[in-house]
Amino acid sequence: MRGRDFENAGETSAEVTAILKDLEIDPDIILRVGVVTFEAEMNVVMYADKGTVTFILTDDEIAVEVADEGPGIPDIDLAMQPGYSTASDEMREMGFGYGLGLPNIKKNSDAFVLASEVGKGTKLHSSIRLDGNG
Amino acid sequence: MAELTHGFKIDEDKCRGCLSCMRACPTHAIRVRATKARYKPDHCIDCGVCLTTCPSGAIGATTWSVDDLNRFKFKVAVPCPVLFGQFPAGITPSMVVEGLLALGFDAVWDFSVDIGLVARAINEYVERWKGATPLISISCPVVVRLVQVSYPRMVDQLIPVQLPREIAGREVKRKFSAQLGLSKDDVAAIYITPCQAKAISILQPAEGAVSHLDGTLGITDVYNAILAHASLQRAEASETRRPPIIRNSTFLRWHMSEGLGHVLAGHRYLLVTGLSNIIQVFDDIEKGKLRKVDFLDAYNCWSGCTAGNLTIANLYVTQSKMHSLVSKLPEMDGETEAEIERRYPTEDFSLERPIRPRPIRGRTGSLKERVQMIQQGEAMLATLPGLNCGLCGAPTCKELARDISMGDATAQDCIFVSKDRLQGLERAYLPRPE
Ligand SMILES: Nc1ncnc2c1ncn2[C@@H]1O[C@H](COP(=O)(O)OP(=O)(O)OP(=O)(O)O)[C@@H](O)[C@H]1O
Ligand SMILES: [Mg+2]
Repeated sequence: MRGRDFENAGETSAEVTAILKDLEIDPDIILRVGVVTFEAEMNVVMYADKGTVTFILTDDEIAVEVADEGPGIPDIDLAMQPGYSTASDEMREMGFGYGLGLPNIKKNSDAFVLASEVGKGTKLHSSIRLDGNG
Repeated sequence: MAELTHGFKIDEDKCRGCLSCMRACPTHAIRVRATKARYKPDHCIDCGVCLTTCPSGAIGATTWSVDDLNRFKFKVAVPCPVLFGQFPAGITPSMVVEGLLALGFDAVWDFSVDIGLVARAINEYVERWKGATPLISISCPVVVRLVQVSYPRMVDQLIPVQLPREIAGREVKRKFSAQLGLSKDDVAAIYITPCQAKAISILQPAEGAVSHLDGTLGITDVYNAILAHASLQRAEASETRRPPIIRNSTFLRWHMSEGLGHVLAGHRYLLVTGLSNIIQVFDDIEKGKLRKVDFLDAYNCWSGCTAGNLTIANLYVTQSKMHSLVSKLPEMDGETEAEIERRYPTEDFSLERPIRPRPIRGRTGSLKERVQMIQQGEAMLATLPGLNCGLCGAPTCKELARDISMGDATAQDCIFVSKDRLQGLERAYLPRPE
């Protein structure tokens, strides 16, 4: 994924949704993986320079790992606050920047880790249990 | 889960196995095996393209016939507004009502009040909504099924407010059973439908609840009888004998695919018609590109229900007729308004159950085995020609590979893999000299 690439934003979550559907994973799980991937993907596009998403599917869970090279997040606790956003007017114009992405990712994850180094980049790990008993 | 009911029956005697429907189906729900077309019920979203495409008339819609009405004591027609735009100039809405009564209905329900109620409930819902946008109208059953099957992440964006026809069905049963001292089961609310998709949505609502309507007749099923009746009584000026059925233009507008836009004028609103356009827009929504739109009204048929596949008249003629009817009517009338005020606080308009994704099932085995199946399918696809000729009986090479990985087909179905297949097709399809 590349920063500022709004043209292709959202492709990854659409693709993973299609694959999980084909695998006949429970629709509620797909919904959650879709939200996590979409929000993380949009953050890379909006704030970072480039990034990758890795999905790891095991018998018990699906893990989504998003790593980016970008400015990093100076205060993670603050960034996790619902409503906190540094989005530009342009992004708000597109309907983003409500400061709900990260809280939403956390809400939809069974395990969630966010780590960041200012000036280097951000790593997000989310995993969702396949049995739905988080 | 109960077996899915769909809007179509394929008449095996008429089906030539010509592949037209299979190629046209937007969700790849049709396969042709041994020269006969077949549905994969999980994939079908009742869009009706197959019915329109079939050159042999082998695909029919499941609606009722007039005889099915006889088992009810009191029968009320709930006509889709589109019905009134179907007839030649000179046949007024009141004459259409007369025709329905002559057909055996005991009453005809004008559901402009129900439309007003639902419009108000939708407006409130849109205003209160804090989740992902745009919200999506459930007026068109094909759109609902498309979301359930292909865009499961968007189900929460479907507006869970009942449709006017359902609210009408509920009120018809309540009102007439009380008035006549009958049980609600004796009073039938029959929707006169412009398409088979609505017929199916009444037989088997997407959310899994039970419809308030008892059945449907297609506009095609009642058209001739109404026309014949109208030509007999033309001179009698039925106008004077009955109060006009249509009192305001909001009723007519509802199914002219501008109805909701009109009602939701204060919101950022998008109207999309035609399935291929809807799919484009839904892809964009899924990718977060339309977040600034509050509300989306989408119809499978180009320009909305006036083009339904159980209508008779040319869609543009219907629209022009409807526009001329609309221009003669007030937008709202006092009587309807008062009734809306009276009923709104006393009724609940929310769907009885939430609309859930409708996953496609068919793979068996553990997760690991399913992953392997998909990998096998991908490996198989790499060996197929990629021409999507359809001669295997699946619409694309990708679908064939998928079918093979699920055990529903074999590589031998491809004419490039098996020359026997080609010879078999020659025997089955080429006309033999007498
Ligand atoms: N990958 C990232 N790199 C740098 N900063 C980030 C990254 N992800 C999030 N942030 C910072 O954290 C803030 C909060 O992120 P969050 O996703 O919760 O909200 P948002 O992106 O601003 O708005 P929304 O997600 O509702 O559109 C962002 O405004 C941004 O400052
Ligand atoms: Mg965000």
